Amino acid sequence: MQLSPTRPATALRLRLRAAAAALLAAGAVNAARAETPAARWQFDATGLGYVERSRTVVIEPVARITRLFESGQSLWLQTTLDAMTGASPTGAQPSGRVQTVTSASGTVSTSTANQVPTAPFHDFRGALDLGGVQPLGGIASIAASGHYSREKDYTSRGGTGQFSLDLDRHLITVTVGGSLYRDTVTPVGGIRVPLSDGTSFLPEGALPRRTSEGSAGISRVLSRRWMVSLNGSRTHEEGYLTEPYKIVSLIEGDGTPSPDSLLTEGRPGTRNRNALMASSVYHLTDDVLYASYRYYWDDWGVRSHTLDLKYHEELPLHDYLVPHLRLYTQTRADFFVFGLPQGGAVPRYATSDLRLGPLHSVTLGLTYGFTLPDHPGEFTIRGEYIHQWGDGHPASAIGVQQQLDLFPGEDVYTVTGGYTLRF
Amino acid sequence: MSERAGEDPIRIERTGDLFAARFTAMASPCEVLLDTDVRAEAFALAGRARREALRIERKFSRYRTDSVVGRIHAARGRPVSVDDETAALLDLAALCHQLSQGRFDITSGVLRRAWVFDGGEHVPSPERIAEALVHVGWDKASWRRPVFTLPEGMEIDFGGLGKEYAVDGAAALLAAASRRAFLVNFGGDLFASGPRRDGEPWAVGVDDPEATGERVLYRVDLARGGLATSGDARRFVRWQGRRLGHLLDPRTGWPVEDAPRSVSVLAPTCLEAGMLSTLACLHGPGAAAFLEAQGAEYRIA
Repeated sequence: MQLSPTRPATALRLRLRAAAAALLAAGAVNAARAETPAARWQFDATGLGYVERSRTVVIEPVARITRLFESGQSLWLQTTLDAMTGASPTGAQPSGRVQTVTSASGTVSTSTANQVPTAPFHDFRGALDLGGVQPLGGIASIAASGHYSREKDYTSRGGTGQFSLDLDRHLITVTVGGSLYRDTVTPVGGIRVPLSDGTSFLPEGALPRRTSEGSAGISRVLSRRWMVSLNGSRTHEEGYLTEPYKIVSLIEGDGTPSPDSLLTEGRPGTRNRNALMASSVYHLTDDVLYASYRYYWDDWGVRSHTLDLKYHEELPLHDYLVPHLRLYTQTRADFFVFGLPQGGAVPRYATSDLRLGPLHSVTLGLTYGFTLPDHPGEFTIRGEYIHQWGDGHPASAIGVQQQLDLFPGEDVYTVTGGYTLRF
Repeated sequence: MSERAGEDPIRIERTGDLFAARFTAMASPCEVLLDTDVRAEAFALAGRARREALRIERKFSRYRTDSVVGRIHAARGRPVSVDDETAALLDLAALCHQLSQGRFDITSGVLRRAWVFDGGEHVPSPERIAEALVHVGWDKASWRRPVFTLPEGMEIDFGGLGKEYAVDGAAALLAAASRRAFLVNFGGDLFASGPRRDGEPWAVGVDDPEATGERVLYRVDLARGGLATSGDARRFVRWQGRRLGHLLDPRTGWPVEDAPRSVSVLAPTCLEAGMLSTLACLHGPGAAAFLEAQGAEYRIA
């Protein structure tokens, strides 16, 4: 078939041609008007408010700006600010009497009887992250990022890299990644010698902490609706891994903490962590169900299971609702204790940090995403309630400790607002 | 951070010395072939073509309440003032109605509800047809530019023109943006801007409707122009031993008899090719004679 230039067009065809040309001319105006360039920038901001009842309040605004390129590359810059204030558990055990604890940061805190003793703190943390994504050949991409953050007594520097490859017509994606961090701990007042009475200090003012991590994952599209993935990671930390301000109580014979003496905590100089995670994304007509299970274990004796479920429900007018449920349980580190007997042998490592203790938590959350008329941005608001508790009545409780809840339940409330704009 | 999933992306692949961009629009697989070595240029041009296809889809889709068609239906018989582009589209629809003696009619969609083309033997009763025909007929609507009045109960559907228009619209944008040769193919309606760099035409296979997606009826070497294919093969109903296709004649409410299974027409633009192939099909057994009389380049299967 060839267009033949010699045959004259019939009247019918000329009329069709004229009407078609008029249509294209009329449409060209609208096409040109609509031909604003595709979004080249994206701005995202979130503000997190976090309240741990009777303890810590954190406000964390985060802002990120991303430059998008037509070929699929992107570059982004993100700043984070944390303002933390409140009271953090010192590791001292609750007792039947009023306790006064002095802390390395120079503050004195007095706790009422029967409550987990805490020390007040204020801290600010700023972080800067920079990263980019580069697609390769339509089936692969590499991503890299750098991180710098600083707070009063802690500096962190590091970077991540990741490579992913699509196989089998984009049905399978294989990802390999790694990260390296070099952190420096400079506690206020110097670093107290671990597992000692807190009066002597280590010679250096700053100690390093190095973290290296490798991960690999594979995800597969099982059907038009369903994608699953499996990921594994291994992390090696070494350096100063102890919490410089936390202590372990020395317990008298009757179970009350000794008021005059304490023991600074001490943790091993290395930690090897492992995690395996299986996750699934299932698309219903408009909604999406996300489910994941993660198993974690490390050489400090901590093992944990996390089950996470989220259901993204599309609402009219492009709004959406995402209820969220997360269940978490963790076994205690080998060297976690609720206190050591006064006058007994000092173990090689010990901590009373509840975050290394036997704990469970349930999180219930709800996110609402919405847009406002005549405004191009997208908003989200999320509320989460976390209830965390542990075994506060261990068999090893001594004397009066048996009447006290050494690991009381804790409620945490978070509210996060988010905003995204593409322009 | 936003949880919104991204829009259906453009997939770009290098095939030979061309870039092939694929995406979905107007419920059809769309493809843009670009005769360039520059990846960034291919991305930019494919993006433009897709945006124009989506613009036209969103503006004229009968499935959207925020489209021009949605507005006209929501007006329920009240007059609606339309813009220049919609007016030109209505002018074209009116012209096709006149040139086909009433066989082409954008108000005929309502008839679809009376018929079930599943290969079975069910045909609607005369009463059911008459009931549907009450709401069919371009002459019942009033089109006095720029005001269009569609009586309540009637519906319009630009489906017979929309894809070809989108092909020509996208092609116009690409031609303005680049000197590269390209081929735009939206769901089988296509336009080629000129021969490729090596002087060769584009090789187009016309689908065999009896084995859609699997077999090609014949190949067309297309250097320049629009190619549109219409046909009546896939959906049908049996009645009194005859096979009735799904192309309906709005004057009778019944399928057009003996419409060609597949007719492809080549014309300077995709719109012209599409209108000629549609009008030909509506002439039933007179399709070939119609196209001959118009001096058209065509193939009938």
